[in-house]
Amino acid sequence: MRINGVQIDDTFAEAFSMKATRLVITAIDLYWAYRAANSFTGFASSVIDCGCEAAIERELKPSETPDGRPGIAVIIFAMSTKQLTEQVRKRVGQSVMTTATSACFSGVESPNRIPLGRSLRYFGDGYQMSKKVNGIRYWRIPVMHGEFLCEETTGVVPAIGGGNFLVMAKTSRHGLAACRAAVKAISRILGAGTTFPGGIVGSGSKIGSRYPFLTASTNHRFCPTIKGLVSDTELTGEVGSVLEIVVNGIDERAVRLAMRDGIRAACAFGPKKGIYRVSAGQYGGKLGPYHFHLHELLK
Amino acid sequence: MSALTLTLTGHPEEPVDMSPLVPDRLRGLRTPQVSALLLRCGNRTLRVRDLFRVTAGEAGRLRVLRSTARLDAVGAGLQAGDIDVHGPVGAQLGRKMAGGNIRVEGDAGLGAGCGMSGGSITITGRAGDFVGAALPGERAGMTAGTIYVHGGAGDRLGDRQHRGLIVVEGDVGDYCGSRMLAGTIIVLGTAGRYVGAGMRRGTIILRHRPRLVSGTFNSCGMLKMEMLRLLFRQLPRAHRRLASLKSMLPLAERLAGDLAVGGKGELLVLEGAG
Repeated sequence: MRINGVQIDDTFAEAFSMKATRLVITAIDLYWAYRAANSFTGFASSVIDCGCEAAIERELKPSETPDGRPGIAVIIFAMSTKQLTEQVRKRVGQSVMTTATSACFSGVESPNRIPLGRSLRYFGDGYQMSKKVNGIRYWRIPVMHGEFLCEETTGVVPAIGGGNFLVMAKTSRHGLAACRAAVKAISRILGAGTTFPGGIVGSGSKIGSRYPFLTASTNHRFCPTIKGLVSDTELTGEVGSVLEIVVNGIDERAVRLAMRDGIRAACAFGPKKGIYRVSAGQYGGKLGPYHFHLHELLK
Repeated sequence: MSALTLTLTGHPEEPVDMSPLVPDRLRGLRTPQVSALLLRCGNRTLRVRDLFRVTAGEAGRLRVLRSTARLDAVGAGLQAGDIDVHGPVGAQLGRKMAGGNIRVEGDAGLGAGCGMSGGSITITGRAGDFVGAALPGERAGMTAGTIYVHGGAGDRLGDRQHRGLIVVEGDVGDYCGSRMLAGTIIVLGTAGRYVGAGMRRGTIILRHRPRLVSGTFNSCGMLKMEMLRLLFRQLPRAHRRLASLKSMLPLAERLAGDLAVGGKGELLVLEGAG
């Protein structure tokens, strides 16, 4: 299969099950909401060593937020509800509550709930108060800027992590231009998130390593500087840079749409702009049960 | 299908206990069976047909026409369904109701919504004393639900209230929110003396400065309260009649109290309060 002259490999992206929640972070204006959201989603690129994966989903207009202030929707993914609970508590406590004028609300409906304000309220040192509004309990934690308002719990939904595709380009500059366009296209898909810096992975990994203490190591088959050394390299001579876009989603549909739109956006650059091939990371079924076949997605 | 309708045909000389006539208990009954139900009227027991003309209708909705203040305990113990009352009602409207909706086009007597644990009550006229309060001998007043009074209300509104929301558009009497345990009261008219006396927790929002506040409330100054912003935005979503709240600013003087009993409650006197 070719799109705009770009070869699409007959392969699939192998994704795995995760747990996720969406949070709505509001503040006095969008600038401060972004400060909180950026801090919240910082150091959350991969569960390999961050404990979670998190991304900004989109900006929210005041009419879309519970308190009528500008906000940011963020999605956080983890491998289990327990890990998610811990990461939410730490990140909301240290990144959102510390941002002046911020407030934090649940952004997903689900009967499965994890603590949000319920675990943070103790910061109020006995001066905290709760208020139930329309059946939802909020915690009011007195802080130095006023009150930190936080919904008591947030919903947890099953999610998918590790949807991905690889863009093989002439150079990193060519690859980045195409991948940035792909990330922009993905950002329009609700429920999908690209958790790596700028949405692009410069050092994609494979499962395992020759070193027993490592669970993941460089995806050597896609490393251009060692393609002459590696017998099972996937790269041809003209490829000088491979960038990966990893997409997580709160459901299969979000991942599917995000991969489709992302690949199409990258392919729009074509070989004349240094984009030669698109492939995907699969690990022989060792990683997870979700298989997103590129040819099926792009039909 | 229209509502099951009870039209009062006379003027009862004594208070009538209307508690047997709630939609969830009338479900499955035919009109003659409803007409034959027994009601306490003072020290007598009467049939429904002795007082009302019964018109068949959907059992989940009850309409009471030509109501008087002699009809007590309308909607008491209601679990689900709607009750629409045209005219005033007596004491203990919606007593211990757990769900459903009651609307009274007229005044309500003492203890409207006392001990309720869910549902909503709307009173287009004036309500008496002890709205949403505890029943005599009980420790807690309403524990959930919404009471909306379009007119004013008497003394001790929300006495011992334990969660839930009471909104009064008009004036309220003395001791509003007294001994409150939690919950929210919004008074858009003026409040009488000693608002929040003895309140442990909870929030009383006042559009006008109360006449006299106990010395056991301490001012925390004029503040922008994000909780008010949330409240003014979220309440109109669930209760259309609270649409006027949307235009209110989240600025208020916060009076923390009652310090005599812990001081975890608050009076929020909105900015511009006269």
